[in-house]
Parts: sequence; C-alpha cells; structure tokens
Amino acid sequence: MARRRRFAAIAVAVTVAALALVGRASAHGGSLGESARRTVTVPTWLFLTTGGAAVGASFLLASFVTDRSLIEAIHAWHRRARVPARRVAVAAARVVGVAGLAAVLVVGFLGPEEPTANLAVLLVWVGWWAGLSMSAYLLGNAWPVLNPWRTLAWLLPSLDRSYPDRFGAWPSVAGLLGLVWLEVISPLADDPPLLATTVAAYTAVTLVGAAVFGPATWFRRVDPPARVFRYYGRVAPVAADEGGLRVRLPGTALSEAKLVDGVDEVAFVVALLWVTTYDGLVTTPAWRDLLLPVVTAGVPPLAAYLAGMLFGYVFFLAAYWLAVYASRRTARTFVAAEELARRFAPPLLAIAAGYHLAHYLGYFLNLAPALAEAALTPFSAPAAVLVLDLPGWFGGVALAAVLLGHLLAIWVAHATAYDLFAGRLQAIRSQYPFTAAMVLYTMISLWVVSQPEVTVPYL
Amino acid sequence: MSDAHESDVRGRDVPADVDRAATDAHDYDVPTDEPVYRCDRCGRPFAREDWLRLHRGIDHPDALDDEEVETYRDAFADEQAEIRRFRLKALGALILIYFGLLMVYAVL
Repeated sequence: MARRRRFAAIAVAVTVAALALVGRASAHGGSLGESARRTVTVPTWLFLTTGGAAVGASFLLASFVTDRSLIEAIHAWHRRARVPARRVAVAAARVVGVAGLAAVLVVGFLGPEEPTANLAVLLVWVGWWAGLSMSAYLLGNAWPVLNPWRTLAWLLPSLDRSYPDRFGAWPSVAGLLGLVWLEVISPLADDPPLLATTVAAYTAVTLVGAAVFGPATWFRRVDPPARVFRYYGRVAPVAADEGGLRVRLPGTALSEAKLVDGVDEVAFVVALLWVTTYDGLVTTPAWRDLLLPVVTAGVPPLAAYLAGMLFGYVFFLAAYWLAVYASRRTARTFVAAEELARRFAPPLLAIAAGYHLAHYLGYFLNLAPALAEAALTPFSAPAAVLVLDLPGWFGGVALAAVLLGHLLAIWVAHATAYDLFAGRLQAIRSQYPFTAAMVLYTMISLWVVSQPEVTVPYL
Repeated sequence: MSDAHESDVRGRDVPADVDRAATDAHDYDVPTDEPVYRCDRCGRPFAREDWLRLHRGIDHPDALDDEEVETYRDAFADEQAEIRRFRLKALGALILIYFGLLMVYAVL
C-alpha cells in the first residue's frame, strides 16, 4: 500500500517535529489559557512549515478517495441506541446542573480565596470550560440537559415575544467575542468573588432573555455557550435523537447541510476558531511587543485588547470568505458563494475542537484532582492543592490533537465537496482555497503554541 | 434508490417517490455572460456539459433514458482518466513534500 506508506512517512515527519519539542512545566496552574507551550529546538519557520505541510499532505491523501459511494457510506453510517431510564437520567442531570450553578454562586463568595482550592473557579474553568467542552466534541453534547439556566428558565413564566429574524446569530457572535475578551482582560480565573459576580450577571441576562423570547428560542439562537456546545457536539460520535441516542463516526455529522444555515452562523463558527487562537495569542512576547508602543501612546490597554480581538476576527473571517470566492473560481461552479460558505464552515469546527483539546487537556488533567478535592470540602482550603503532574512527552499529545482536528476537517470538507459537486475532480479543485486557508490557520496556531508564554501584559 | 425506507446521505428518511435532488436544491448565482447547461429535471445550472451529464447519473439515476445513461458513463470514464493524471501529480507532490522536509531536517 503506497498510500499507507506515504501516510506513515508524513506521520514520521510530524513525529520528528513533535519529538523536537521539549516539555516545560507550567508555572501558574490557576490561570486560563494554560496551553501546552513548549520551547521549540528546530527553527520556528521549519516547525511551521512541517505543520502546514502535514495539512497540505492530508488534503492530497484525501484526494485519492474519489469513490462517491464509499464517502457517502462512511457519512451515512449510524446506529441508534436506547437510553435506559432516560427520564430519570435527564432529571438527575438537570439537578446536577442547577446544583453546580448554586455551588459556583455560594462558594465563589464564601469559599477559600486560593483560586486552585476554590470550587467555583475549578468548576467553571476546569469542569465546565475545559471538561464539558471536551466531552461535547469527544462524546456528545450534554449541555442542553445539564444547562442550569435552561432548567430554571423552563420553571419561569415567559412572554414568548418573537425573536427578530434579522438579528440571527449576530448577538451570539458578539456575546462569544465579548465573553472571551472579558475572560482575557479580567482575573476571572484568580478571583472567586469576581467570578461569582460575573456568573450572577450572566444568570440575570440569560433568565431575562429567556423569559422575553422563550427558553427554546433564547438557547437556540442567542446564548453563546449553548451555541458553542451545540456546534462542538456536531463533531462528536453521539447525538441525542428522538427518544434515544444516535451513534455515528466522529465528525461525519459535520457534512450535513442543515448545521449552519446563514452567513451569521458562518461568522459564529469562524469566531469560535478565532477566540481559541486569541486566548493563546495574548500570552506571546510578540503581542507584548506589539502592545508596547500602543500603550505608551496613551491608548487604554482594555481598548487595545478589544481592538486586537476585533482585528484578528475580521482577518480570520476575511480569509475564510476569500477562500469561498476563490473556491467558486477553482471549481467553476454556479453554486452561490453563501451556500459554499455555509457548507464548508462546519469542518472548521473539527479544527476548533482540536485546538481546544491541545490547549485544555493538560490543564484539565492537571487540575482534575483539585476539582474533586474542592467538591468534597468546598469551604476549607487544603494544606496543599492536589495536582496531577504530567509526563514530559505530554506536549506531543497537544500537537497530535491539533493535527487530528485538521485531518478530520480536511476529510469532512472533502466529503462535503463530493456531496455538493457532480464532478469528482471538480470537488477536489473546490478544496484548493479551503486547504490554503486551513494551512494558514494551522501555521498561525502552531506559531502561537511554539512561543514562550508570558503573563498577559498591561492589565 | 427506490426502497421505501431508504435513508439518504444526510440520514433523513426520504419517501421513495421524492427525487433526492429536488429535496436539497442549492442556492445558485448564475452569471449572464457564460454558457450554462441546465438540468431539465431539477433546473440546476452547470458550467460544463459533462458535469450536467454526471449530475443526471448521480441525482436522477432512475429517471434516465438509455442515451442519458450512455452519456453519463462516457463522462464518468473521461473523468476517470483525468483523475488518474491528477493522482500522479498528487503523488509527486506528496513525495516532494516528504523528501523535501527530510532533506531539510537532515541538513539542520
């Protein structure tokens, strides 16, 4: 199998690059964005080229699969499973969710000051933002059931106003960018009372919104976290189905036409990809050097951070739309640009999931024992916080996650192209620009991962 | 394609009498200054005639007459030859990437 050998060759090249990375212990366990940073011993340009080449090569490998029925069979494969005692399980999950929210609010104000010993901080960042997100794209999205605000909103009366259609997903795009900006500029992971206050504010906004528009509409269209988990859940092999579970191959649901149905939702997918990058970008020396003249010129740091967030987002979005228009030309298709944008946005979710895993898996495993400990004794800090020390080779796992996300994305985009175009070669040609965009995203992200980590400057 | 409980690619159950292509029409943006080949069954526009022929075989397999089946097969075979050429190039590119990187890593 020449094909398999090539694949092995690429795998070897990537592994060589991965082995060239030396593990470095993380200094501040409580802070967010604790990515798997390492010092690279090969020149940075070569490291980036290898990553980009791996993505390009996986596109070339995918292009060898031109059997339409095989692709369709892979994506159509599914099994249905029944959940035993479904009602009881759902009710229990709802109780757990509401109990978790109550714990964050109470322990945030009354618990220990040490962030790594405080259940509120650990539950929100380790349990929810790292752990639950990972479970959403690795297993399936449990958030609709666990979501305490959804449970509470169902208990409250609702005005059931109709949601203005022209708003679409834009409020959730703004909300996601805003929440991540807030997470970066404020010590939300180090200051339990501040975190609890923020959660209380979010609770107020969410419950009012759900009461005005009805919980179903609010969590479907406006609430950013609900949307994040729903999109991540599309990467996963398990999905909730009427009265049971539907099991499919990981990522195969991303080629479905109905996941993203508008330019606003395309914008949300790109935002999800961008905020993961931004989270790491603000801790690079390059960002600090870029900020220095700006801040000395008298620009408030918060505004500079916001400008950086928006500028980078516009750049990511522009790169994606450029790829869409270029794809129309390379494929010589009459399918509208909007339609192409909608269909080829979901593969980016696999990339976003890969980065999320790279950024948070170490953080999660490192602090999971502390979370368990804090859950048992929420109001007293232990003498020493229990953390799991990760072996030196663990950095390789992060790199593998980034690459796996890309392989999945390349494959899903390939399958989507086969669904969309009549010509097999036309489908392959439609992927040139998207592959180029993915290579660009990869190189940017690998560059962020390869930089030494500094504390977020000027805040 | 005509089994009553057939489930299409996206996992929706499609009644046997519904043509698959008609259930998922795309949005099109057709320029006025280029030749357009339209499918007379579902109206989809194509920039090349062989893509229209392929489309008929892929999306309306049960509704074709003998001549259309024949043109589909021809278009498919032509494309097969083109794909073979493309594969050679792709393989060449893969080898180039692999050995190029290997050299660079060996030198450094």
